[in-house]
Amino acid sequence: MSAGAPLVESKGLSWSLDAYVIGAAATPDSRYFVCSLGDGTVRVLDLTDAAKGFTAYQIHKGGSLCFAPDIEAGSHLSGGDDGKLVKVKLDGSTQIIADLGRKWIEYVTSHPDAGFRAYASGRDAYVLGKKKGDEPRKITLETSVGGLAINPKGKRIAIAHYNAVNLYWLAAKDGQPQVLPWKGSHLQTTWSPDGDYVVTAMQENALHGWRLSDGQHFRMQGYAAKIRAMSFPKRGHLLATGGADTVICWPFTGGGPMGKEPSEFGGMVNGPPVTAVLAHPKLDAIAAGFENGKVIVGQPGTTRVMPIVTPAKDKEPSAVSVLAWTPDGDRLLAGTEAGDVHVVDFRSLA
Amino acid sequence: MTAQIPVTVLTGYLGAGKTTLLNRVLSENHGKKFAVIVNEFGEIGIDSDLVVGADEEVFEMNNGCICCTVRGDLIRIIGGLLKRKGTFDAILVETTGLADPAPVAQTFFADEEVKKRTKLDSVLTVVDAKHVMQRLEDSPEAADQIAFADVLLLNKVDAVTADELAIVERKLRALNPFAKIHKTQRCEIGLDKILDQGSFDLQRIIEIKPEFLGDDHDHHHHGHDHDHGHDHHDHNEMKHYHDEDMDSVSLSSTKPLNPGKFDSWINDVLMSKGPTILRAKGILNLADADNRYVFQAVHMMSEGAFAGPWPVKDKRNSRMVFIGRDLDAEALKQGFTACQMA
Repeated sequence: MSAGAPLVESKGLSWSLDAYVIGAAATPDSRYFVCSLGDGTVRVLDLTDAAKGFTAYQIHKGGSLCFAPDIEAGSHLSGGDDGKLVKVKLDGSTQIIADLGRKWIEYVTSHPDAGFRAYASGRDAYVLGKKKGDEPRKITLETSVGGLAINPKGKRIAIAHYNAVNLYWLAAKDGQPQVLPWKGSHLQTTWSPDGDYVVTAMQENALHGWRLSDGQHFRMQGYAAKIRAMSFPKRGHLLATGGADTVICWPFTGGGPMGKEPSEFGGMVNGPPVTAVLAHPKLDAIAAGFENGKVIVGQPGTTRVMPIVTPAKDKEPSAVSVLAWTPDGDRLLAGTEAGDVHVVDFRSLA
Repeated sequence: MTAQIPVTVLTGYLGAGKTTLLNRVLSENHGKKFAVIVNEFGEIGIDSDLVVGADEEVFEMNNGCICCTVRGDLIRIIGGLLKRKGTFDAILVETTGLADPAPVAQTFFADEEVKKRTKLDSVLTVVDAKHVMQRLEDSPEAADQIAFADVLLLNKVDAVTADELAIVERKLRALNPFAKIHKTQRCEIGLDKILDQGSFDLQRIIEIKPEFLGDDHDHHHHGHDHDHGHDHHDHNEMKHYHDEDMDSVSLSSTKPLNPGKFDSWINDVLMSKGPTILRAKGILNLADADNRYVFQAVHMMSEGAFAGPWPVKDKRNSRMVFIGRDLDAEALKQGFTACQMA
């Protein structure tokens, strides 16, 4: 059971940045948190002097739409409705990676170890390697891209769209995709840590998954809301998802989730839905954010839940849109649609 | 709750004058900032970061029921726009001349996030007075767009004679008894007359006049409320132009309706005929209720609520309009009549 004051009050800091938090990531050295916001800025927080707050850099003329770490450590990629994909360094210096004019850049992802970046706009997805002067490979799908995900080994990319997920080899210059069909609109996409499962969140309140080793596929449903977030812990033994009033965890051990019941933790019956989930980088703990701004950290299979942030009482509640852990697992960032950002330090609790 | 951003859907056949209107909305000083979603940038004279190109990607949710057909690109674009807080007050969605307006409208009811943050204000159809009769003959989309509209902008009225205009107007009225019709040249009209109409707001349906609500209205314009089937012997002058299947059915009753019977009848009608019913609206006198019950539907999706007292206490006429294809006027009339209190 949850008990006590939220951790942010004793071990954290909070800011009101006044714009939708689109994405957030920590640098590989766990020293900085970097966020992109709906006002077109990228903001950098130095955790060695967090009290100083975020430094803002205006990157896009309009708003940001997507965000990911770049393949170069310490740099990040911000895609915007000005059609630009911009690489942003910690000092705010920028380099335009792509300019699609009046088209929006809606999705971006990268695999730093493998050295690939991928981004998408409408029906076009682009894969870009790390060599200087490389032209991106353009992949035009039959329908608009709903999500991008590179597999853990950095060899393949899954591109979700309407009625299917297409898999492409990143290093190939062309070639036909492996198509994983299923009727409906596939949005956010993720791979299991062993690379055997691809799972998508759909426009309907359901997940769809495929096991590549034997071609089996499965549907996971019963959600009350759209599933805006899912996360595999590093061990890959379960998939934690939002979209319900508790964190729903599907078992991925011993043949996958087919025919099994999920476990759940956190939240309360008929409470606000979970809008963000992110597994801890090292431990079997999962952070979850709710539609009312609440943030918890819990452990699947137990009822122990640590309150991190409680919903603000003095203003309109806003959904948690983003969670990010530092790679060392010491700090958690939570950002909301209204631009509230909380950073909590777990070190003294260990 | 966060205020919902109003959305106006702009439809009309190619050349009717949509772009003229769009350019006016973007350039005139009307105190509101619009995000405009266009199907192509083409003739849009304004280079604004709030003008967004769309792909008109229609897709099916929930096993392909027509009522769950939505515009996937709109869900994405509106999701993106909503992240840019405070930079615009309203959204205008332009469709191509060939588009069916229903998936656009349904997007605002089917996706929970879009529904929470925006509200469909009205469907505005620009009609070219000179060519609309021809369009109705050669393209079913033209009838869809007129039938679906809340506001009809009958444009280019200077290009036709008074008699021709009267025929066009009657035709529009037959296809759509509840839309407001404005006659214009070069889309010149106060934008307050076409924007912020609240057409899907149940509390404002009662403002619709006069064709739908007028107590002394001559129902014989309406086509099928006095007749049945598709026998058009009684309006010969329109026969030549008749859209073969799109029509409207208006129903009225001076007797109060049994709420339970009405509820089960309308559910049954929408479940079985929803795919062919584009729009339905009603203002109803339910037995033992002091206030007017208002009702609307887009295909199978419907909602109803009580909305204020009757303006004249003793005059409580229930009225209902269905617009759609191949409507069985006689069956609708019988079903509606059977809901009356004995």
